[in-house]
Amino acid sequence: MESTRAHESQYTRSLIEASLDPLVTINNKGKITDMNDALTNITGLKREMLRGTNFSDYFTEPQKAREVYQDVFANGSVTDSPLTFRHKNRQLTDVLFNGSVYKNSKGNILGAVVVARDTSEQKMATEFRIANKELAFQNDEKEKRAEELVIANKELAFQNDEKGKRADELIIANKELAFQNDEKEKRAEELIIANKELAFQNDEKEKRAAELIIANYARSLIEASLDPILTINTSGKITDMNAATLYITGLSRKKITGSDFFDHFTEPEKARKVYQQVFARGSVADSPFTLRRKDGKLINVLFNGSVYKDDRGDVVGVVIVARDITIQTKFEEELKAAIVFAELATEIAEEAKTKAETATVLAENAVKSKQQFLSNMSHEIRTPMNAIIGFTKVLLKNELSARQKEYLTAIKMSGDALIVLINDILDLAKVDAGKMTFEKIPFKLALSISAMLHLFETKIQEKNLKLVKEYDLEIPEVLIGDPVRLHQIILNLVSNAVKFTFQGEITVKVQLIDEDDENVRIEFSVTDTGIGIEKNKLKKIFENFQQASSGTSRLYGGTGLGLAIVKQLIEPQGGSICVKSKIDKGSTFSFILPFRKTNAEAEMEAELVEPDATITDVKVLVVEDIALNQLLMKTLLDDFGFECDIASNGELAIEKLKTKSYDIILMDLQMPVMNGFEATEYIRDNMDSEIPIIALTADVTTVDLTKCMAVGMNDYIAKPVDERLLYSKIVGFVKKTVQLNDPEENKNPEDIKVKYTDLDYLNRRTKSNPALMMEMISLYLEQTPVLISNMKKGLRERDWDRLYKAVHKMMSSFSIMGISSDFENMAKQVQEYAGSHIKSEGIPDLVLKLENVCVQACEELKEEFNTLKNSN
Amino acid sequence: MDNKNKIKLFLVDDDAVYLKLLEIEFFQNADFSIETFSTGEKCIESLSHNPDVIILDYKLDDIDRNAMNGIETLDKIKAFNSEIPVVMLSAQDRIEVAINCMHHKAFDYIVKSETAFIRLQHTITNIFHTQKIEKALNWYMEKM
Repeated sequence: MESTRAHESQYTRSLIEASLDPLVTINNKGKITDMNDALTNITGLKREMLRGTNFSDYFTEPQKAREVYQDVFANGSVTDSPLTFRHKNRQLTDVLFNGSVYKNSKGNILGAVVVARDTSEQKMATEFRIANKELAFQNDEKEKRAEELVIANKELAFQNDEKGKRADELIIANKELAFQNDEKEKRAEELIIANKELAFQNDEKEKRAAELIIANYARSLIEASLDPILTINTSGKITDMNAATLYITGLSRKKITGSDFFDHFTEPEKARKVYQQVFARGSVADSPFTLRRKDGKLINVLFNGSVYKDDRGDVVGVVIVARDITIQTKFEEELKAAIVFAELATEIAEEAKTKAETATVLAENAVKSKQQFLSNMSHEIRTPMNAIIGFTKVLLKNELSARQKEYLTAIKMSGDALIVLINDILDLAKVDAGKMTFEKIPFKLALSISAMLHLFETKIQEKNLKLVKEYDLEIPEVLIGDPVRLHQIILNLVSNAVKFTFQGEITVKVQLIDEDDENVRIEFSVTDTGIGIEKNKLKKIFENFQQASSGTSRLYGGTGLGLAIVKQLIEPQGGSICVKSKIDKGSTFSFILPFRKTNAEAEMEAELVEPDATITDVKVLVVEDIALNQLLMKTLLDDFGFECDIASNGELAIEKLKTKSYDIILMDLQMPVMNGFEATEYIRDNMDSEIPIIALTADVTTVDLTKCMAVGMNDYIAKPVDERLLYSKIVGFVKKTVQLNDPEENKNPEDIKVKYTDLDYLNRRTKSNPALMMEMISLYLEQTPVLISNMKKGLRERDWDRLYKAVHKMMSSFSIMGISSDFENMAKQVQEYAGSHIKSEGIPDLVLKLENVCVQACEELKEEFNTLKNSN
Repeated sequence: MDNKNKIKLFLVDDDAVYLKLLEIEFFQNADFSIETFSTGEKCIESLSHNPDVIILDYKLDDIDRNAMNGIETLDKIKAFNSEIPVVMLSAQDRIEVAINCMHHKAFDYIVKSETAFIRLQHTITNIFHTQKIEKALNWYMEKM
C-alpha cells in the first residue's frame, strides 16, 4: 500500500514536470511555493532561486500579475489572463494564465496553482487578443465561459469533497489504526517486541501518510488545471485524466479510462501520427486537433504532449495537455470572415469606382464631341452662308422689281439671323471648352460705343423709338480691354431692348463707378420701356436657350442664347450683370466691367469710312481657294472700284507678288498647298515686304488671331465679310501708307487727295538706284524754291520774261517727278500769257496753283527722300 | 575702261535736275566720260578738255538773267573749235528756235521730252557716223 502511494506521488509529480506549460503554485502571499521545469525554462532561473520569491516579479506588468493571483484567491480561479514573462536575459514570453486555488483535505485554501501557456509562438494569439479587445461581444462569451467555469469549479469542489471524504476515510482508518495501536499498547506489555515492531510500522505509516498527502497535493494541482491533462499508455489507451478532460469530452472518468485516445478526435489518423511523434521526439507542442464531444459538438484544441518515464527511465506513456481554443478558433473564423467580407467590399468599391471613372470619361468625351460637332457644324454652315449672304447683297444692288427686292431682303435677313445664331453657338461652345479669351488692347470707349449705337439708328427710327445716350465724360479716353467683346455685349443688350420695346425710349448709360491709379470700373446700363420680364423669370433668362416666356420666341423670335452669351462674356472679365424689370414698364440691364488705364494710343478702328469716290486705283490681291468666295470678293472689290487679282493659294499669291505690285492683300487662312500663315511668313521674311495683309477668317477664335499677328498680318475680317467693314479696312490701310508719304495731305483736307508726284519715271530712268534717285530728288528740292520765288516775283513785278522763264524751267522737271501733265498744261498756259504779255485775270490763280503743286511735290519728295535714306 | 577710249561728253544746262537726269542716263547707257556745267561760261572755260560732243541747253538764262544764253554759248564753242559737234536741247518746241540753232551751226536740235534721251543717243550715234563718213570722204578727197 505505501509503495503504491509513493509510486502515485512520483507519477503525478512526473506528469507536472513533463508539462510544457509552466505550472506554478503560490501561497496566499504571492510567494512561489513550487513549480515545474517549464517555469524554470521560461524565467531562466533555477528552482531554488524561484522558490519563495514574489510570483509577480517575473512579469513585465507585476501589478497586473498581482491582481491576477489576487483574483484567483478571491474567485477561486481565473482563466486565459494574458501576461508576459520576463526571462532572465530579458526575453519576453507572452502567456495566457489559468489559475485556481487548491485546498488541503480540510478544504482550507493552501495556495493557488497557476498554469501558464506560452502564446508567443502562436502567431494568431496576438491577433486574437486584438480581436478580443475589438470585439466587445466576446466578453459575453467569456462571461458564459466563466459561468461554465463556476459549474466546473463546483464540479471540482464536489471532486474535492469526494477526496475530502476519502481523506476522512483515511483519517478514520488512521483512527482505527490508532485504536488498534491503543489495543496494541494495551498489549504492549505483553508484546514489547511487537510494540516495537508496531512503533516502527507506525513510523512507516506516518511516512506513507505524509507521502500520501504529497500525492494528494500533486493530484489536486492536476485536477485544478482548467486545461485537460491526460495520460496515454504506449498502446494509445487513455490511462488517466483530470476533471477538465471530463468536462471537455462530456464523458465520465470511467468511460474515458481505457478508451482509445484517437477515437476522441475527428481525424484519428492524424492524432495517431502526432502521438507517434511524441514517442519519437519525446514531445510535441501546439498541435491543433478537433475533439469530438459526446454530444457531437466539435471542440478545437491545441495539444502539448510529452513522454513520461518510470523510475528506470523507461517510457511508460505520454502526458498530454490540451487547451480548448474553440473561442479563439471562433474568433479566428470570424476574423477570417470579416477579412473576406472586407476584401469583398473593397473589391465592390473598386469596381464601382472603375465604373464611375469610365462613366466620367465617357461623359467628358461626349461633351467634347458635342462641342466639336457644334464647332464643325457651325463652321461648315458658315461657309455656304457666307456665299448666300454675300451674293444676296450683290444682287440687292442691282435694278430690281419691288417684289424681287422684297424677296432678296427676306433672304438676306434670314441669312443674317442664321449667322448670328451660328456665331452665338460657336461662342457658347468656346465658353464651354474654356477657349474664350479676352484681348487686352487699348481702345477708345466713347468712340466704340457711339459707333455701335450708330448701327441701331435705322432700326430705332423704324420703330419710332428714341435713343438716349448718357456718357460720363470723366471716363478716360483710352482704356485697355476687349472692345470686340464689349461690342458684342452691348449689341446683344441693345438689340434685345429694341426687339421688346414698341414705344418710348431706349437709354444707354455709361458711368464711371470708381477709379484708382491703374484701373477704372465702369457701369454700362441699357434701359428700355418695353414689355418687361416677370420677376420669377429674372434668374432664368441668363441660362442657355431660355427666354422669359416660352411664347417669347414665337412672338419675338430669337434663340434665347443672347443673354447667356452676355453673361459668359462679362463674368470671365471680372464683371457682373444684373437686371431690374417691371412688367409692361420696361427693363434695365446693367453690368460693371473693370478696365486698365493706359497712356497708349488706341488703334484707329471701328470707324466705318463712307465710300469715297476719290479712292480708287487700289490694287488688291485676294488669296482664297473657294471659287464662290473668290467670285464674291471680286464682285465686292469691283463695286468699290478697286482692281482685284485672285490667287487660289499662298504659293500662287507669292508668284503674283513677284510680278506685280499691290496695295493690299486679303488672305484666307485655310488653303491647300500653302496656307495663309505660311504665305504671310514668306512675304514678310523672305520677300521683305511690308504690304498690308488682312486675314479672312471664318472662325474668329483668339488663338487664330494671335497666330495672325504673330506671322505679321495687319488685321483680320470675319466671314461673312461685311462690305462696309471690308471697305473701311482696305481704305484705312491704303490711306495709312499714303499718309506716311504725304502728311501734307491731311493738313489740307479740302484738297483733292491725290499724290502729286510719281517716282515711276525716275525709277525707270535710274533703274531704281536709290542713290541716284536721292541725288535727283535733292537737286529738285534745291532748285524748285528758287523757281517758285522767281515765278512769284515775275508775276508781282509784271516781269513777264522772268515769269515765263521760271515757269518754263519748272515745267521741264514736272515729267521727271511724275507730276501730272495737267499741271504741265497749266504751266504752259501761264507761259503763253507771259509770252504774249497779255495780262489775264487767270494768271494769278494759275500761278498760285502751280506754287501749291510745287510745294506739295517738294513735301512729297522730301518724304520719299527720307524713305529712301532710311531704307538704305 | 580707259577714259581716253571713252567719248567725252559735255552737258550744259542750268536746270540742275534735268542736268542730273541726263548725266545719270548717259552714265547708265553707254561708255561716256561726262562733264556737266550749269552755265555756258563754265563750259567755255573747260573747252580745253576737248569734248567729243557737247549737249547744250537753249535756255541758260532762266534763273540767272544775266547769264550767257544758249546761242551765245554755241557761238563761243564754234569760235573755239568749229569741229566740236553741239546738240541743242530745249523745252521750246517752236520751229523758229530750231532753225535759229541750226543757223548757228548746231548739229541737231532736240526738244526736252520723255523721248529726248533716246533721240540724243541717236544723234550722238549719228555724229560719229557722220564724222566717220567725213573722215573717209576727206581721205578719199586727198587721195584724188
